[in-house]
This record gives sequence, structure tokens and C-alpha cells, in this order.
Amino acid sequence: MNKSANLQNSLMLAPLIGATDSLVTALGVWLMFIVVISAFGASMAAVRSRLIPASRLFAGVLLAATLTGCAELAAQVWSLQWHQHSGFYAALIALQCVVLEHTGFFQSAWRERLRLCVLFGALMVGLGLLRELLGDAGLRLATLAPGGFILLGLLIAAWQAWPRPTPSH
Amino acid sequence: MSRTSSAVILLLLAGLGIGATYLVQYSSAPRIAAEQRRIDSRNLLDLLPSDSYDNQPLEQPLHLGSTALTNSTLLGGYLATKAGQPVAVLLRSQTIGYAGAIDLLIAIDANGKLLGVKTLKQSETPGLGARIADWPNTWFQAFTGKSLNEPADSGWALKKDQGQFDQIAGATITSRAVINAIHDALRYFDEHSRQLIGSGLHE
Repeated sequence: MNKSANLQNSLMLAPLIGATDSLVTALGVWLMFIVVISAFGASMAAVRSRLIPASRLFAGVLLAATLTGCAELAAQVWSLQWHQHSGFYAALIALQCVVLEHTGFFQSAWRERLRLCVLFGALMVGLGLLRELLGDAGLRLATLAPGGFILLGLLIAAWQAWPRPTPSH
Repeated sequence: MSRTSSAVILLLLAGLGIGATYLVQYSSAPRIAAEQRRIDSRNLLDLLPSDSYDNQPLEQPLHLGSTALTNSTLLGGYLATKAGQPVAVLLRSQTIGYAGAIDLLIAIDANGKLLGVKTLKQSETPGLGARIADWPNTWFQAFTGKSLNEPADSGWALKKDQGQFDQIAGATITSRAVINAIHDALRYFDEHSRQLIGSGLHE
């Protein structure tokens, strides 16, 4: 795992903790992520070959800001309550776009891209469902940010402890 | 693929981006504003039974005079009426809790009795003071029906301070601030009731 991948993954941590206190919030952020990332990928593909490498970053920033801005407005029309609750996590998608472009995500095989989107979605929805269920069951901590960290930690620990063939070094 | 064509494409992207965002903003702003008003009024007005008033209280803000009270500040007020008769005054009050400002909405009926209290904004300790934000709220229900004279001044405090109200466990400062703000609002209503109830009727 190189440095850029670390940056990309740590950026995902913010919505993963902040926007998973309920299933609807998590689903909304994930859907918006998919829509914006797809639109961004498609439009970058159209202009990338026509730009000199130095101006690709600017183009990426412009596109990411436009797409995320429009998506945020659409989300406000769709459900203002959802937006007030988790709008700033949705705004982070713009940064995510730029970082993903920088790491060459959009030039990688579609299988890789799909894997990241599905993994992110599975984690968001899983964590959202888990926190909502635990919160409904009376465990208030689960709906707060520290509870999110603890649950994510437990999930990672379970993943590590799962017996599976370890790749040889 | 030259420097010039790159610059032109960038300019084009910037123009398109600004245009698209502006158009989307322009077309969605009225709907967002309407939705915001709907949320606001639903948030504010679930304090009152829905059949107890027939006006749009948020469209009828009260003109408050001096608004800095002993322990709190009044940010605004609304008048709810039914068939032209004043039913309740809603006062928006801000006080300082343990962690920061607390915004309360305090509903007082025309006779000066408290109809309900609701927290609009707070940043108290999660799990302790932040429980004032729960809705419906059993702690606030203890205040319903109270007024400036019932209990008397000394009763408007926590049991810990020789008053008659329970506190939220683990949140003395928050509870104290809220009680003082409610008491302030009732006192303000008592002193200005004619002006509060009257000023709405002229409009």
C-alpha cells in the first residue's frame, strides 16, 4: 500500500464514522458518492487527453466542485433534513474525487474501481445498520462518533482474526 | 494538446461549472427555502397542540423591546392565535449552559401559564446535558402548567438550590441555566403581556 492509497483510505474514514449513525444517512452519502464519482470519472475521461498534465489538477478541482455543488443542491431539494444532518460529509466527496484522480483510480481496471465502490458501500451500509440497530436497542454510545470508532475497530479486528490463507511475503 | 488549448478547455470548464451551479442553485433555491420554512414551523410548533391555533405564528413575529434578561437573552417571539384571539406566545430564549449557548423555545399561554419548553440548539455534554434536546422530553414536562407565581420565586430553582425542580442527572449547570431562562421568560411575559398579546392583534 503506497502513500496515495493511504490518503485515499483515510479520507474515507470521515464519512465512515461521521455519516453512519443511521442507515438512511449512510445510504445517502454512499449513493451520492457513486453518482458524483461516476460523473466525475466520465467527464475527466472526456477532457483528460486534451489537457497538458499540469492543468489536469485544475480541471479536476473545477469538475469536482461543480459536480459536488450540484449534487448537494439536488440533495437539499430531495431531503433538506438529510442534508442538514450529513451535508458536510457529502461535500467531502469533492476532495475524494481530486484525490482519486491523483492516485490514478480512474485509469485502473473497472474491476478495481468497482471493488472500491462496493467495499466502501458495504462498510457504510453495514456500519450504518449496525449502529442504528444498537442505538435502537438502547446502546446510545453506538450512535455517537466514539461508538463508530469502536465498532469500526471491532469490525477490523474481526476481519483480521478471520482464518483465511495469508499471502506469502 | 498544447498549452493554449488546455487553457481554453480550463476556461470552458470553469464557465460551464459556474453556469451549471448557478442554474441549479437558481432553480432549487425557492423549493429549499420553502422546505426550510416547513421544517422550522414543524420544529417550533409541535410545542402547541395542532388544533389550538389557526394562524401561521412564524409569519407573525413579535416586536420585542429590551431583550437582555437577567440570565438569558430573548432572540425573538411569535404569537399564536385562534379565531383572532391570542392563544400563546412563543419566546425564543438564549442562555449559556455548560458548554455553550442553549437556544430554547418557551411557549406561554395567554394567562401566563407555561405550555411547554423545547430545546432548539445546544452543545452540552452528549449523554448528560445534551438530554435537554430529546423530544418529547420528560424533564421539561415538569414545567408544564407552572407560571411566575406558581411556584413562587424561591421555588424556581433546582432542589439542590432549595427550589422545587429535579435536575437532569449529571448536568447541574445545564439544568440551572435552563430553569433560570424559563423563569426569565415568564417574568418577561408577565411584565410585557399586554404589549406581547396586543401588538400581534394590530397586524
